[in-house]
Amino acid sequence: MKLRPMLIALLAFIGMIDALYLSIKRNSGPIPCHITRGCTDVLTSKYSEVAGVPLSWFGLAFYVTVFSLAVFTIFEEPGRPASPAKSAVSVIFYLSGAGLIISALLVGIQAFILKAYCEYCLLSAALVLSIFLLSPHPVRHTHPE
Amino acid sequence: MKPVIVIVLAVAVAAGAAVFLSRQPDRPSETNAAPLTADIKSGGHFRGPENAQVTLVEFGDYQCPSCGAYHPFVKEILNRYPQQVRLEFHHFPLISIHPNSMAASKAAEAAGEQGHYWEMHDALFEYQTQWSDKPDPKPVFAAIANRIGINGTILVQTMDSPRFQERILKDVEQGDRAKIQAVPTFFINGQQVHILLSMEDFVRVIEANLHK
Repeated sequence: MKLRPMLIALLAFIGMIDALYLSIKRNSGPIPCHITRGCTDVLTSKYSEVAGVPLSWFGLAFYVTVFSLAVFTIFEEPGRPASPAKSAVSVIFYLSGAGLIISALLVGIQAFILKAYCEYCLLSAALVLSIFLLSPHPVRHTHPE
Repeated sequence: MKPVIVIVLAVAVAAGAAVFLSRQPDRPSETNAAPLTADIKSGGHFRGPENAQVTLVEFGDYQCPSCGAYHPFVKEILNRYPQQVRLEFHHFPLISIHPNSMAASKAAEAAGEQGHYWEMHDALFEYQTQWSDKPDPKPVFAAIANRIGINGTILVQTMDSPRFQERILKDVEQGDRAKIQAVPTFFINGQQVHILLSMEDFVRVIEANLHK
């Protein structure tokens, strides 16, 4: 059973929906908050885009990449040496590690600069953290062939 | 080939789910306000004929991006229904998340003293991005005032008058009594109305109330 890559794929799938939803809603008016307060403030702030590109697009690219890598790992033929899936595991680990740092930064901006929270962004941060924790450390999990 | 099919299908399903969710009507629990009582129905700034069939009451915050996004639609409604709709605007600055909102409300009040409240009201929303992040927005307020033809220096000198703050706080108190928790919050005939950010939805709500 390839439980870990399956869980990672599931989390990345949820992340894709989250990022796509935000990308659509960002251009169609106020984004409703149901748990937190200040979704629109966060998502229309100057921190919500980089060089005119909304952060949700970067999030979408991240989740699609992680999902694809996890799917390739799931479909990996067992026992096949030096398969691309092995490097895929490393990429998920480092990619989600970078994503985690960026997510922490964005949560910090919400907490200390904007003083407003967006539940969809917090969900994304939680997803990135979960993906990072689930992704096997490439060094620990690499066995000599 | 199998993984590629799975990935393409998953992206398509995720896109479908996101589109479906984004089309659900927004009914956030945080904007459920109490009906306006008679004493709250008074006050505020009015725009439009006194005998209008519909009075659209807005509790707003000049620094709130949503209020800025709704502003062109509110203006368009007043243009489309010049005899039937009246706007009543109440200040509701959310100072905990919008540090310049109170100053902006005061600037609008100070402009009002020079007889140009609505011009400043419109300009504060239209140029919101120019002042909302400034540590000291007053020079921008002065520049905006000069741009709309009123004396920016006098505006900045008078905007901290306690009487303006008093008026704004009266509006805030009314909003608190109406249990407003988010801005903009709209009311028609004392009842809160949920309006989506589209001209079609604004027209739908106004038309529904005109034909009541």
